[in-house]
Amino acid sequence: MKTSDILNKTKELFPYIATELFEEQQGRVYVCSDHFLNVLVYLRNSSFVHLANIFAIDWIEEKEFELNYNLWSYDHNSSIIVKVRIPREKPEIPTVLDLWEHGQVYEQEIHEFFGIEFAGNPDLSPLFLHNWKEIPPMRKDFDTEEYSKRAFDVGEREGAK
Amino acid sequence: MIDLFTDITEIANKDGNKVYDIFFGPNHPGMHGNFGYVVDMIGHSIAKARVNAGLLHRGFEKIMETNLWHQNLSLIPRICVVDPDPNEAAYCGAIEKIMGLEIPERAKFIRTITLEMSRMTSHLMGMGSVGGATGLYTVMYLMLADRDRLLDMFEWLTGGRIYHIYNIPGGVRRDLPKGWKEKLYGLMDFFESKLKEYDEILYRHPIIHKRLKGVGVITAEQAKKWGITGPNLRATGVKFDTRKAYPYAAYDQLEFDIPTEKEGDALARANLVRAEFEVTISIIRQALDKLPEGDVNIKLGNPLKFKVPEGEAYAKVESSKGEYGYYIVSTGGIKPYRVSVRGPSLPAGLFLCHKHLPGMRIDDVALWMNTLQICAPDFDR
Repeated sequence: MKTSDILNKTKELFPYIATELFEEQQGRVYVCSDHFLNVLVYLRNSSFVHLANIFAIDWIEEKEFELNYNLWSYDHNSSIIVKVRIPREKPEIPTVLDLWEHGQVYEQEIHEFFGIEFAGNPDLSPLFLHNWKEIPPMRKDFDTEEYSKRAFDVGEREGAK
Repeated sequence: MIDLFTDITEIANKDGNKVYDIFFGPNHPGMHGNFGYVVDMIGHSIAKARVNAGLLHRGFEKIMETNLWHQNLSLIPRICVVDPDPNEAAYCGAIEKIMGLEIPERAKFIRTITLEMSRMTSHLMGMGSVGGATGLYTVMYLMLADRDRLLDMFEWLTGGRIYHIYNIPGGVRRDLPKGWKEKLYGLMDFFESKLKEYDEILYRHPIIHKRLKGVGVITAEQAKKWGITGPNLRATGVKFDTRKAYPYAAYDQLEFDIPTEKEGDALARANLVRAEFEVTISIIRQALDKLPEGDVNIKLGNPLKFKVPEGEAYAKVESSKGEYGYYIVSTGGIKPYRVSVRGPSLPAGLFLCHKHLPGMRIDDVALWMNTLQICAPDFDR
């Protein structure tokens, strides 16, 4: 089955989603956070078993986080990225652990770097950062330069302007 | 530091020394790179494993947002030390997808050749470290010495031995130097003649069979649902390769087999790497045979003012360890808005360890890591 057909079929089943065919083997599904699990369950059961990764994008001007679920179907050789937007003030989304066990690591990582809560995930302990007390570092409003000056007490470098 | 030592003492006293913790960390000879597991031990068996990551975290994805598109090219190969080229190819591939660029045919073939050479360097390191972890040090030294020949070729072509920074958006940085192609043909003959020796000292060695058989078994179903890709997936019997399924560079114009193994254990994974090494030699020969004439890149103007139009794309590459993917978001500026990296060893290194390590003997951990090709930099970035 071609990616375009899969997208059309998904659109028929879930009329409230938007779809986009990026290239022959790569498509995108835009869905709201209330319904995204239904779409993921459907895609998971229709051969999209491989979750390549989950990643977040901070759209600070639109005051939204975008979560991306990067799926691949071994049967149809097709890649579909499910995109869900959630408000920045209350960043919470249900977990996908019941669908993909290894989503645990990605959710932990996103929680650590974006501060997004995954409702239903029992373990969101930090993986990489040690004693982090600032705002999550991958957010766009985190200023790396200002932080390193404050944390490491670095003055102006000689000759640097 | 004092805290750390108190902790260890407290741990050692726990349960009257029956359960003790071992820091299987960067200073352990079986560990490659700055990464570690903390394992609860009973006797010489592991009861529980915890991940001790973050020793290597450099915030690459964040740094990439503050750099120019071309500046990032010198940063991304550092995400994987032994196999750097897939990073460059995936990053440039994603940019080219957003821009809708079709790179020149010659550039596609040169990219294919360097990608496969990079796979060879990584596999030589992988095969060698299996020898190192089983005490067959000769194998390791031999493989690393042979690997140096490929690094010499990279140095001649790109100026760098480890980090090549050779792929750029629109093609590759420079054309093949005079005499390079002939030398690479010779090197492929050399590696083909060496395979027999590798078999004798490593793959037919009784120690390898005894130590690797039955370690860390993954079934095909598990590999698919846990996000395990690349050689680790093919070692379970799944005939899948991104080079065929989602072609990039010039792979759609070349003919090659996808080797598979059935058992899904460490021995199957080690044998598969050997089989892939042979396939790689044939791919490089074909690509050299078919190498067309022409330009090697599209001139895209001043790199300091280089802009990528608004858009986003996911490009993935079959690296020596599995699916290497870059998702790039551009808002039309001189810097990327977001770069997300899909490291191939994340599912194995951070997730599979909780499934496999409990019950395993401590001396098998290094082998388990080597055969799954866990490379910490690509998730701890």
